[in-house]
This record gives sequence, structure tokens and C-alpha cells, in this order.
Amino acid sequence: MKGLRKYLAPFAPDQSGASAVLSDLGGMIVICDAGGCAGNICGFDEPRWFLKKSAIFSAGLRDMDAILGRDDRLVEKLADAVKKIDVDFAAIIGTPVPAVIGTDYQALKRMAQKKVDLPILTVEATGMEIYDVGEETTWLELFKVFAREALPVEPGSVGIIGATPLEIHSMDAPGQLKEKLQEQGASNVYCYGMEAGIDRVKAAASVEKNLVIAPSGVKAARYLEEKFGTPFEICYPLAGEILTERLEEAELTLEDLAGKKILILHQQVLANSIRQAIRTQPDTDCTVASWFMLKKDFKESHDIHLTEEDQFIEYIQKEQFDIIIGDEILRNAVSDYTGVYMNLPHFAVSGKV
Amino acid sequence: MNREPYSITAGQLAAMGKEQIPPELISNTHLIYSSPATLAFNSPGAEGFGVKRAGLAIPGSVMLLVAPGCCGRNTTLLAEMPEYHNRFFYLMMDETDIVTGRHLKKIPQAVEEICQSLPQMPSVVMICLTCVDALLGTDMERVCRKAMTKVDIPVLPCYMYALTREGRKPPMVHVRQSIYSLLEPMEKKLHVVNLLGYFAHLVDDCEIYDLLGQMGLTKTYEISRCSDFEEYKQMASANFNLVLNPEARFAAQDMQKKLNIPSVELTRLYQLDKIQNQYHIFAKALGAVIEDQSYYDQAKAAVDVFRDAYPDAVFSVGESCNADAFELSLALLRYGFRVVEIFGNPSAENFVYIRKIAAISPETKIYSNLEPTMLYYDCSQDAADITVGRDASYYHPNCINLKWSEDVQPFGYAGVKLLFEQLLAACRRKEESK
Repeated sequence: MKGLRKYLAPFAPDQSGASAVLSDLGGMIVICDAGGCAGNICGFDEPRWFLKKSAIFSAGLRDMDAILGRDDRLVEKLADAVKKIDVDFAAIIGTPVPAVIGTDYQALKRMAQKKVDLPILTVEATGMEIYDVGEETTWLELFKVFAREALPVEPGSVGIIGATPLEIHSMDAPGQLKEKLQEQGASNVYCYGMEAGIDRVKAAASVEKNLVIAPSGVKAARYLEEKFGTPFEICYPLAGEILTERLEEAELTLEDLAGKKILILHQQVLANSIRQAIRTQPDTDCTVASWFMLKKDFKESHDIHLTEEDQFIEYIQKEQFDIIIGDEILRNAVSDYTGVYMNLPHFAVSGKV
Repeated sequence: MNREPYSITAGQLAAMGKEQIPPELISNTHLIYSSPATLAFNSPGAEGFGVKRAGLAIPGSVMLLVAPGCCGRNTTLLAEMPEYHNRFFYLMMDETDIVTGRHLKKIPQAVEEICQSLPQMPSVVMICLTCVDALLGTDMERVCRKAMTKVDIPVLPCYMYALTREGRKPPMVHVRQSIYSLLEPMEKKLHVVNLLGYFAHLVDDCEIYDLLGQMGLTKTYEISRCSDFEEYKQMASANFNLVLNPEARFAAQDMQKKLNIPSVELTRLYQLDKIQNQYHIFAKALGAVIEDQSYYDQAKAAVDVFRDAYPDAVFSVGESCNADAFELSLALLRYGFRVVEIFGNPSAENFVYIRKIAAISPETKIYSNLEPTMLYYDCSQDAADITVGRDASYYHPNCINLKWSEDVQPFGYAGVKLLFEQLLAACRRKEESK
């Protein structure tokens, strides 16, 4: 039945995606909730939160705040906190509560701007969308607010857009990506939101090109291309290494994939790049399926967007794949699948990398 | 900008009085700082029992969470625990559901489908609702009744309304009412008593079982010790309820009205003399005499052994533990130890302890985990030797830490004894590791 999940817990929501983009950039993040959403975002979807301090707050909304639409109280609390905390910007991220009461984020932003002398971002997350929707909106808003100035281009420099713990295959990915790109000739590599801070976001116009490693970064990359003429490329350069590692774990070789019918379940850019690596072998029949964004421009005709658990179960039963590459937890829904299942962790799915 | 966390000494706070608690210590006056120390506040289910786990306290129950996806996100971890396997299900809401309320029509069908998919019929289906339905004003009792006609087993609402957490009936109060609401009137048995308040049982060696036995109450029911639904239903035969956590007061009142079971409340304490007083007053009220001296002596011996080994121990006490941080701090001070910090949001009820803490140790600092300036708490400085509580351990990762937050609940003399035994073991481990 539509919307019913019997085997799979919900995936990371849009508010977690928004927070993941911003949490390492030195701003104050206010989750517009009663507490539970902030708890879920931090305690479950943000592995960095356990390792270092970040200025994430819950608005601490109570029933009368919601019923009476007391946005002014939220702005007062924000203004009070900003006096005590040293931050570069403030962001207000939505949740189901403001979605239900129809909070006007533009008005909220203007109210906050009058009281607080800092750049204010608002992200209209609802808790009902998936994480990448929140990421996409936030990447775009981030560059629109901060990357305003055209700058001389730094030759050989690369900006990475799309890296958050929810998208990457491992928490070491930013370092590995940097190393890989430098091996390929890049001079400086700036992984926005994970290693490069807000100053690099402000200087986004200075990179020679952008590399988009997740579909959620495409809109922001297009914006930077239009605004500053920065070209972008879409791929996950570590896909080959990831595939080799997964194959070793499954005690297989790349050659074993020849002639096989394979399904890859992950975010689209990573999955596409793995498919490309697999296609070095002859006669492979490789499909990408994703519960997340599947951008038309980068999608093959047989690729499939998953929305329902029942749809996923039926699809797996019908297609008879030889190999499935995806997060281990998805296997709970297809426990009768008898082919090879290679674990490719996806934090947004299982909360594990 | 002053990069210091806000704190106030016990002496200052006691002098200000319960009518003038500073806004920094009142959570609804400021943004709520989110750190690992506040996880239990923001998301009770992330550690210990939140509404979702608590709602499954009825043996054989399953839960359908009807909510936007974000509300069920952390359940991924819970669902991996063997005791919750095949017990959590989700009906995910979208924006159209919010506008039209169509999700309510799907619930009976979803309940039916879940029951059909399980190898064994559950005893009850709990429908867990969140802030969204709180704001929509959903009549979930009606929806549950409709679902019940499809499956012929009880279907109960379980309210996870975080928006009401500081209201008269917060979610953890509501869920306690829900889990006892299936009990039906039955013949009373004079020797039966229920322990209400916790979702896990008391430590096995808790003296309360024997003391109740001495009063003729030889059969004790706790929901987590009920092996099946039939045994759970026997709780309705109790002579009275013993409320061990104030969050169960409303549940006890419901049981008084519906089942004619009266209740008595006991408080979890760590001061031995107060524990003794409480037991004796309780026994007197029932017209009974109890012999508890041996339990008192055992607990006191555990305190003495620890004090002999570590007479100069300095504590930092958090609120994320199986204790009232202020009462536990007072107990530690009265046993002769130093308490330099307490992490907690004092309420008017805590002032009975705060005034006494101030008299013994006026310089003890009180912090609120939730206050924004806690971002600046310097976790590299160890103000204490030992921390008690998950939150205190976050601030002092290098100290000896006792989380003291197991599911199984410490209580009474046994709680004091276990606390000091575990403190001793933790200190010894630290010494051995040096």
C-alpha cells in the first residue's frame, strides 16, 4: 500500500540534508521544531556532531507557539543567542510543524534580518521530503547568499559540490577526493561543506571548475555556471576504488561481472560512476535505481526511481538480478533475494558508513 | 564576546529562590542548544525509552508510526534491536495528507496489512502520532476504533506530541496512560501490587519486593516482567499501585477511576536516611511493620567501602541518568564527597534539594545543558574526578564516568548499593588502566 513501510525505516529527511550542508560552515543552525527533529538530525543523521561542537539549536517550539504563530518569539530567541555566540551566519531550517502552520519563511527571514546583523538563510524543509531535496535547496541558497563577487580564477582549482555525510561513501571521502583530483592535476581542491569553510564558499567564483558528486549539487553548480561562467563536471571519481573494495569484500573480481545483470542502489552520481566502472566488462546489463533524485539528464531509460517499498520488492522479484549493489539494510525488504548482494553503505539509508 | 558558558552557584540560586530562577535555566526562554549532552532531552528515544519504545511495553504489541518520514528516522536503530524486530511499521505522510487528512483513511487498511504480514497476530497495535496530528486536531480514538473493526484486536493511540513536552500531559505521561489503558476491571486480589513508572523492571535484588512481601503483598507486577498479554491483563487484579515515577501519576489516576485501584507514590532517592523514612511512612500508612535494617546496612556498607577507598572523590553530576541530579548531588555531599558541578534545569520542586546543597556546598556550579552558551563549555578541563550521567561524561571525556542510565532501574537501598559498587568498579578500572 502507498506510504506503508513494513521493512524499511524512513530515510534521512530534507531537514537533515539542509543541516548536513551547513553544519560545518561556522553558522548558527536553528531547527524550527519542538526538539525531536533536532534530536534526529544531530543524533542520527550527522556523524560529525559527535566529533566536534557545532552551533545547532532547536527552536524549542511549544504548542502555543505553533497555534498562535509566534514567529516573533523565535526571532527574539535567535537575536538573543546571536549576542552570545560567535557565528558567521544564521540559518533557520523548517520541519513539519512550520509546514503545517504555513510559516512564511520570507517574512521570517526579513524579521530576523531586522534584529540580527548577520546573513540569514531560511530553508523551507518539511520533514516529508527526502534529504537530497533539502540539500539541493540549501546548496543553491548558500551560494546565492554568499558567492556574490566575481573573482579572478585560480588556475587548476576545483570546487566539490554535493559532499555531505549523507551522500558520500565514507567519512574519509573528502580527503580521498582531494588526493585523487590532485593526482589528476588539480592545484587546489575545495570540498564545500566538509573541509572548505564559509570563506571558500564566498570565493566560489575563483575556482576553475566545479565537480558535482551528488545530484543535489547540480542546481547550485548550474547557478555558479550562469553567474560566474564556472564549468562543472558530474561524477564520483572514487567509484572505481569503491567497486574494487566491494568486490574484494564479496570475494569477486571485476571480470566476474562480465555478462551479469546488475542493479546499483545509491545516490545517482555515485551509482552512475560505479556503472561506468562496471561497463569496462563485456555484456553487463546494469541498472541504476534510486530512492532519491534521479535527474533526467543523467538517467538511462531503464533506470528506475523508487518511491514505495512494495514497488521495490516487486521490482527485485521481477527483474531477477544476478548482483545487487546497495546498502545492506535495503536487503531487509527483499530477504528472499538469492543472488549476490554487495553492501554499499549509504548513510542516508542506514545511518551507517 | 564572552566565550563562557552560563552557570550559577548553588548558593546564588538558593538565595534567588524558586520564584526567580534565571531565564538561562528555563528552557522555553531561549533556543535549545543541541549537543550530545542534550540528546536525551531533544530525542528521548535516542537513548533509553522514548515514546516509541515505551509504547511497545505491552507484551506482543506492534507499532504503526503515522507521521512524516523524519519522525521515524531514528527508528532504524531501534528496529535493529532483537526485541523490536518486526514490531515497528510506518505510514509515511506527505503534504497532501496534511491538507486533506487522507492518511487517516489509510490507517485501518495499513493495520490490517501489517497484521496479515506477521506470522502471529499481535496483542495490540499502537498507532503513534506526532506533532502534525497534534496540530491537525486528529480524533485518533475514532480512527483506532475503525481500525479495530478490521483486525479484531485492540488498536490504541500513542501520542508523541513533542510540542506538548512542557505541558500538563507531556508525551511520556501520555504513553504511560496508553499502555495501561487496556486493563479491564477484574476481581481484586489482596496480595497483588503493581509497580508503575518504568518501562523496564527494577534491579532484581531491589529490597522493595521483600518489603512488600513483608506487608503481605506477595505478588508484584511490572509491565516489563509480564511474559505475555494474559499476564499483563492480570495487573487489573492489583490491590493498589505503587507509583515510582511521577510521570505515571495520570496513569494511576486512570486506573483508580476505571479499575478502582488506588495508588501510593514513592520517590527514587539516594539519601539512605530518606529512603528509610519513606519506607517506614509507607508501611505505617498500610498499618504494617517492616524490617529493612539489613538492606540499609548493606547499602551503607557499599557507601563506606567506596568512601574508604576514595575519600576525596570530586563529582560532576548530570541529569541524563537514573536519578534526580539535585537529589543525587545532595546525597553525595551528605556522604562527605565534593560535587563541583550539576547539569540540570532546576524546577521549583528541586529547590528542596538546592537549598540543602547550598548550605553544604554553596560554590557548586549549576549549568543548563540546553543553554546556548554551553557551546563554549571547555571539555578539555576536568573539574571533577568522576562524572555521573551521560551528559556529564560528554563534558569530561577523560574522567572516570558512570553513565548510570541502564534500562533496568535502580531503586531504594539496592540502587544506592549498586551505585557505589559501580563507582568503585569504575575507579578501580581506571587505576588498573594507568
